[in-house]
Amino acid sequence: MKLSEILAPRRIALDLKAKTKDEVLEELVRLLRLSSPARKTLVKTLLAREELGSTGVGNGVAIPHCRSLVVSKVLVAVGRSKRGISFKSPDGKRVFLFFLIVAPPVGDPGEYLVVLGTVAQAAKILAKDRRIKKVKTPREFIKLIKEIEK
Amino acid sequence: MNPQLQILIALQDILSLIREAKDPSQKRALGRMGFKMTNLEALEQTRENLEDQLSPAIRSQYARAKKRYGRIVAPVINGICYGCFVKIPSAIDTAEDRNQTLYRCENCGMFLFWVEK
Repeated sequence: MKLSEILAPRRIALDLKAKTKDEVLEELVRLLRLSSPARKTLVKTLLAREELGSTGVGNGVAIPHCRSLVVSKVLVAVGRSKRGISFKSPDGKRVFLFFLIVAPPVGDPGEYLVVLGTVAQAAKILAKDRRIKKVKTPREFIKLIKEIEK
Repeated sequence: MNPQLQILIALQDILSLIREAKDPSQKRALGRMGFKMTNLEALEQTRENLEDQLSPAIRSQYARAKKRYGRIVAPVINGICYGCFVKIPSAIDTAEDRNQTLYRCENCGMFLFWVEK
């Protein structure tokens, strides 16, 4: 599975406005274009997941994720914050790059972990790649991911 | 969406998270990716807070479904209840008030949620 194949330009925001953890989760969930009640429910679940332990993985990257009834297939959204957001990451650094992953509770149980693993692997490489800061459009972002995945 | 259904869905998502955090193989797989799941107490507290928001009648149906299946809400996809994989009567499946009214599967008794496509 390749990350570039599951990303959609409409689910990539390269200039997040959020300043807090709650706001960034709301902004990322908005990219999934769900109904308002579904969005609210999903944000609640993601916040609960954060209570369990931060999904910040260090080096300025966080991968908020959960299974939720409100989606019918695995969805991935990406957000970049220029200022960075405090996300209780293990290294204490602010987070600049967010990958949101939401999977339905039904269907292939392995798919969720495969997507999560694929994103985690790509995010590690991306965190060290300076080109990420220069990307201007969602299509350029996907192009960069494709180059990383080569 | 029916407010009680919204709470039930949030509860189901949280029950999934709790199950995931307690499952050693899931925990190991996620741990290898760098995700820690340590604060289970906070999650249990969130679950309790949500349960307190259910009406007494719904709460008793919720408790029964949770005890029997470990899950409480079944998604409906293409007219099929994904709790028991039995077809939902078409009058309910095509009802205009689905997700507004709280429906339960006539076969398994789980609350039904029509997922957005």
